[in-house]
Amino acid sequence: MTKRIFLKAAFGLSLMLAAPLGFGSAAHAQDALERVKSAGTLSVGTETAFAPFDFIDETGAHVGLNVDLFEEIGKEMGVEIKWVTLPWDGVLPGLEAGQFDMVAGPATITKARVERYRFLTPVAEATVALLKQAGDDTIEKPEDIAGKLTGAGKATAQLAQLQAYGKTLPEPIETREYVGFNEAYADLAAGRIVAVANSLPNIAYVAEQQPDTFAVVLPPFGEKSYFGFIGSKRPEDQSLLDAVNEALLKIKADGRMGEMQKKWFGQSFDTPDEAPTPKV
Amino acid sequence: MSTRLFELMLWAAGKTVLLSAISIAIGLAIGLLVCAAKLSPKKLLSIPATVYVSLFRGVPLLVQLLLIYNLLPALGILVPSEVAAIAGLALCTAAYQAENLRGGFNSVPRGLIEAADMVGMSPWQQLRRIRAPIAFRLTLPALVNEMILILKASSLISVVGVIELTRMAQNLSASTFRPLLFYSVAGGIYLAICWLVAGGGSLAERLMRTGSSR
Amino acid sequence: MSLDFSIVWQQFPQILSAFWNTIWIWIVATILAILLGFVVAALRRYGPLWLNLLLRLYVEVIRGTPFLIQLFLLYFGGPFIGLSLEPIPAGLLGMTVYGSAYFSEIFRAGFAAIPPGHIEAAECVGLSRGQIVRRILVPEMTMLVLPQIVNMAIILMKETAILSIITVPELTLVVGAIGSQQYAFVEAMTMLALFYWALVELSGWLGGLAEKKLSKFRFAH
Repeated sequence: MTKRIFLKAAFGLSLMLAAPLGFGSAAHAQDALERVKSAGTLSVGTETAFAPFDFIDETGAHVGLNVDLFEEIGKEMGVEIKWVTLPWDGVLPGLEAGQFDMVAGPATITKARVERYRFLTPVAEATVALLKQAGDDTIEKPEDIAGKLTGAGKATAQLAQLQAYGKTLPEPIETREYVGFNEAYADLAAGRIVAVANSLPNIAYVAEQQPDTFAVVLPPFGEKSYFGFIGSKRPEDQSLLDAVNEALLKIKADGRMGEMQKKWFGQSFDTPDEAPTPKV
Repeated sequence: MSTRLFELMLWAAGKTVLLSAISIAIGLAIGLLVCAAKLSPKKLLSIPATVYVSLFRGVPLLVQLLLIYNLLPALGILVPSEVAAIAGLALCTAAYQAENLRGGFNSVPRGLIEAADMVGMSPWQQLRRIRAPIAFRLTLPALVNEMILILKASSLISVVGVIELTRMAQNLSASTFRPLLFYSVAGGIYLAICWLVAGGGSLAERLMRTGSSR
Repeated sequence: MSLDFSIVWQQFPQILSAFWNTIWIWIVATILAILLGFVVAALRRYGPLWLNLLLRLYVEVIRGTPFLIQLFLLYFGGPFIGLSLEPIPAGLLGMTVYGSAYFSEIFRAGFAAIPPGHIEAAECVGLSRGQIVRRILVPEMTMLVLPQIVNMAIILMKETAILSIITVPELTLVVGAIGSQQYAFVEAMTMLALFYWALVELSGWLGGLAEKKLSKFRFAH
């Protein structure tokens, strides 16, 4: 008796779950560019703990290269930008779930990600290097972290590269995974870890802001790589991503992107229009 | 801390309170339904209700929130951050509130119900005039407690993209390098809100007690 | 959409060690929190008034703020006042303090519910204070408070998930990270939900069993 009731309940539940499934896939097929244009808003997922791309400044405002770039993209496309900010490990799942139209980030262009997502034109260099405590002379070059405790942001390409690099060292390294890079920097300052791996533009900015606390370890240990904004590979999203990419290329060609890079990194980057196929 | 930053913290606290309040209200409604289903003699109703309570009380809220935000869209139900946060908090608190209410309904003295039967009250009248008011009064302290729990649990909803008090403190302590200050201020604000809710709760209890003695 | 759990299972050894971390941190923190909670409740009842007020403030502050904020303060604020703890010790300390406030309230209610006659009787027959605590208070209270203790212990089990935020390599952190690496986030989260559900149901069942055993034991006397 109980079993029959349970089966009935399970059947009812599956119907409930299946109904919106059919409905949802129909709704999804709408062309993304049309949808964004008619709504007048482009929703962009990102995290706000990734200075100087996306961060909260000391007045509490959301600023950074992404904010400036998307303001221009919004102008080019005639839409408002709606930011959705999540911890980074939730951003790519959110994109896959369709919670926002695209992702700022930016995300390091990696082999695995290129297979899964569509990257737009690169906006900066992403080559990974180490940040150490200022005045720590036990770490002069990247391989000095052998056998030591290091950290990076959860679910980031930088973490993956750090772990891969650690395996090539004579002594394995231990890595801690933080909700965001800010927490990793704080732990480095507190002396709980000896180095944080992040892309050069990020850690150069952090070291410049707090020269008494942090210093960059050169050269970068990672392969040369780039940062880009990303979207899904769903066919209905491609028109939108084409339009955003076109706007980005225009902003790059007329020198606006270079100016923004100077504003946030103190230098402009020579990025290719199309990301080269990454080796890792 | 500058006035501007303090205002930001207060704004975020407002969001914490607003989302918690909505979640509690929706959770109470769902909780009533679940409680009714669980008390029902029909197994078709009581078994799913039991599973619901066990599931939502057995899984950490952090995991529930992430599932709601990432799994529902895959089923075709698009949930913006705020909605996902409210859904997560409300579905979770509903499981606890259902159990509190069940305890309340079960504690209504049998004699009262028998007396109501004798004077010829219909089951609906009994529910409205006797069982519900008594159960509500009995479960009020638990409801206030649940409000406080949800206020505090809302510190987790930033994982689905809502900027509330905890997230604001996290952001500002990173940008000003003063975690001690901002987390303490956030803690102080939570404390003040919780004390206000607790105070309001005991006031309501006292009012109801004087009301019943008349 | 299709869920593929095998991707997550490939990392089984990692998951096992994370599972072990969750379990032992939970058990150690719960035991410490129960002990500390008992001490707080006893001091509040039998200590001087000023101590009672001070401990009341402790309990109210801990119960009035989110666990996450307490952890953030301890872990990220601590180094600014010279308290730089590693993630696991910080997690243990945070959970112990957090749990102790709730346990102390359970014990406080327990103390209040013990009939004063029992203690007076014990005093009459000349039992010392320590004997009264050991022979009368603790056994009587265990029966009174056990259901709530079990309940709170289960709440703490779920709170261990929050330790992932200060990088403790427990279940949520490790399974979440595997999910991200393998682009199987939903699968990972579903699996986590089932894990915790099973754990919570199991500990609830064990708690119920303990209650039954203890009540038999009590009536046998």
